[in-house]
Amino acid sequence: MKIIQISAIWCSSCLVMQKIWNHVKDAFPEIEWCKMDLDFDSEEVSKYQVGDKIPVLIFEKNGEECSRLIGEKKEEEVMLWIKQNLEN
Amino acid sequence: MDQTKFGKLKWIFLIVFLLCPISSHALEQVKLHLFYSKSCPHCASEKEMLKDLEKKYSNLSIEMYEVTQNPEYSELMDRVKKTLGTENSYVPYTVIGETGLTGYNDNIARQIEHFVERYSKEKSVDLVEKVKKEGYIPDYKKEDQNSNGKDTEESSITVPVFGDINAKTVSLPLLATVMGAIDGFNPCAMWVLLFLISMLIGMKDRKKMWILGVTFLCTSALIYLLFMVSWLKIAVSITSITWVQRGIAFVALVAGLWNLYSFYKSKDAGCMVVGEEKRKKTLSKIRKITSEKKFILAILGVMALAISVNIVELACSAGLPLVFTQVLALNDLSTFQYALYILIYIFFFLIDDLIVFIVAMITMKVSGISNKYAAYSHLIGGIIMVLIGILLFVKPEWLMFQFS
Repeated sequence: MKIIQISAIWCSSCLVMQKIWNHVKDAFPEIEWCKMDLDFDSEEVSKYQVGDKIPVLIFEKNGEECSRLIGEKKEEEVMLWIKQNLEN
Repeated sequence: MDQTKFGKLKWIFLIVFLLCPISSHALEQVKLHLFYSKSCPHCASEKEMLKDLEKKYSNLSIEMYEVTQNPEYSELMDRVKKTLGTENSYVPYTVIGETGLTGYNDNIARQIEHFVERYSKEKSVDLVEKVKKEGYIPDYKKEDQNSNGKDTEESSITVPVFGDINAKTVSLPLLATVMGAIDGFNPCAMWVLLFLISMLIGMKDRKKMWILGVTFLCTSALIYLLFMVSWLKIAVSITSITWVQRGIAFVALVAGLWNLYSFYKSKDAGCMVVGEEKRKKTLSKIRKITSEKKFILAILGVMALAISVNIVELACSAGLPLVFTQVLALNDLSTFQYALYILIYIFFFLIDDLIVFIVAMITMKVSGISNKYAAYSHLIGGIIMVLIGILLFVKPEWLMFQFS
């Protein structure tokens, strides 16, 4: 299981959410967390077809995308999203 | 006629004379000059009122000057306004004696009648006739246009702790603060500042970081200042042309509705991704600035970046500074007050950028302000712009917070 985090250094929502992501990472150590920057890792990011809004979290199971969480979210929302993906 | 009869008649004449002081004391002739525009609805309302006033006061004569089609009348109005120290060219403009009254509403109608009554009893100088003969009169003693004082009393409100506050003097600074802050939270240019700060932190030279960051913010403020002052100069001189005011009202309405639509659309807060090309260009510009060996070139680079970003920002702000400046132009302010309100607007426009920059410089870490506030700024901004747009169309005098 893997979560791909696509963010940017210039995005205030990403900066605000960094704390939340750190908590979530600690809460689910079994999930591999892969951080990508929209500008500095543009080649890898281009595979994921990011829309017009960031940050984007992509949940992958066995190399396949299960779902995406787009935009600035509360910690509970991120936790719930992960739990739902783990249950499915 | 014998002596006693003559004596009686003398007494009768004396008593009649004493009992009828009014009939024996002729009213002074009062001349009222009205500068108006054919297409201005408030001018039409004032003309209607003046018709009734002319019937009521037989000693009143009215002369009217249409300013949009007669440049000589427009020039005369400018000279009279300049003589009385009024800086705008808004119509209707009424001059009675040495008193000039700009705009038209119930309060101004009361003031006009007050001055007609006053000058019926006392002799007055006909300033317009004087200016017609002599041209602009520098250092002319300005008549106190608020001489009845009612206006100031009516707009005073008592607030606990602060005491008496005049709503008219509070409205403009409050509007400057709210509109500036809303404009600031519009996140169009924030990404460039965050980009810049991230790169500056990499420089690890605090002094240079402060200088470059402050240069960026000051240049941004300067661009806004230049735009607002230029528009103010234009707006002050053309407020009498109705279509310009209608055009701004239309901009305000469209921008307001666009802001409300953005609020509706922005249920999920986040950062809008600008085009890759644009990001790459900005990134390479910032890299060049931070790696520049000659510091002066780095400063110039930061200034150029701020100029290009803020020109885009002005378009992105969807007319907020334009509409605010238009509201300022409708008010009868001194140059100092105009400058003060524009500076208040710019300060609050930059306040979020200042917070982000100062926090980053102190902690050496980039922190962001949640984009959730941007959504609320769209909502409040949208409501304010729609309200101003409607008022500019139907009741521009309600936006004249500070007026005689």
